Amino acid sequence: MMKTELYTPFLDATRQVLQTMLDLSDIAERSAEQFDEGQENLEISVGVVGDLEGTITYRFPSDTSLNIVQILSGMEMDSVDDFVASAVSEIANIISGTVMTLLSADNLTCDILPPVQGRLDNQKEYTQHTQCCITTSAGDICLDIALSRA
Amino acid sequence: MFWKDKYKLGVALIDKEHEELFRRVEAFMKTLRSNESWGDKVHEVNETLEFMKVYVVEHFSHEEAYQKKIGYPGLEDHKKKHDEMVEYVVGVSDQYEKSGFDQQLMQQFGGRLLAWLVNHVAVEDQRIASYAIDKGVANDEN
Repeated sequence: MMKTELYTPFLDATRQVLQTMLDLSDIAERSAEQFDEGQENLEISVGVVGDLEGTITYRFPSDTSLNIVQILSGMEMDSVDDFVASAVSEIANIISGTVMTLLSADNLTCDILPPVQGRLDNQKEYTQHTQCCITTSAGDICLDIALSRA
Repeated sequence: MFWKDKYKLGVALIDKEHEELFRRVEAFMKTLRSNESWGDKVHEVNETLEFMKVYVVEHFSHEEAYQKKIGYPGLEDHKKKHDEMVEYVVGVSDQYEKSGFDQQLMQQFGGRLLAWLVNHVAVEDQRIASYAIDKGVANDEN
């Protein structure tokens, strides 16, 4: 899948949020093909409206979700339950909000909708479809970005 | 320990309130996450929730007063974020009471509160500190 012009703001925003909130500095890109599909993923979808329309779907493998919430809270987490899923959803929300701020510098005005758990069943075709996957000491995260200009 | 010294803004009143807020949220999380049955801990959860509803509003108003005092240009945006959080806390709290103290609702609330608070203090509030330092008013009396 080709990297579109949206790839960089998504990568930058993800890096920025994980560094500030979790003190993660070892964030590296990885190809979507290498993304660990071996474990169950927590999927969080965030709708985008405005100059761009579509959906960002975040995939957090279980280990990543647990590590992130442990770092945030300083408490041991042993399963991806309602508490963990909600904390991770808020992080997806914060990353998405940061992307929108970065896009506004390119005169793109967009809003995000509240995050929902799961993948939205959307059959629409989008002109910009890309994946942004990263690896960190807390685990991997992959973003599926499907957006079109309104 | 949930609180980190890097969250300090250098404004004594705000830093003290942030530390207290983190302490309360940590206690709230520990109660939520404990192995006790929901019936055994629901009273403590409810007490902490009631405290936070009052404390969060008070703290936000102190923080906004400080921003106004130093002429922080991002006050309106920052206040909007505070207002949205207060609306969320009050909304969830109402829903929680109506549900007869549903555990799932409170677990979801706890998770969101955790991530929101860390981001708000580590990112949004730090912008206030950066502005105060740039303007040379960071060490003024609160």
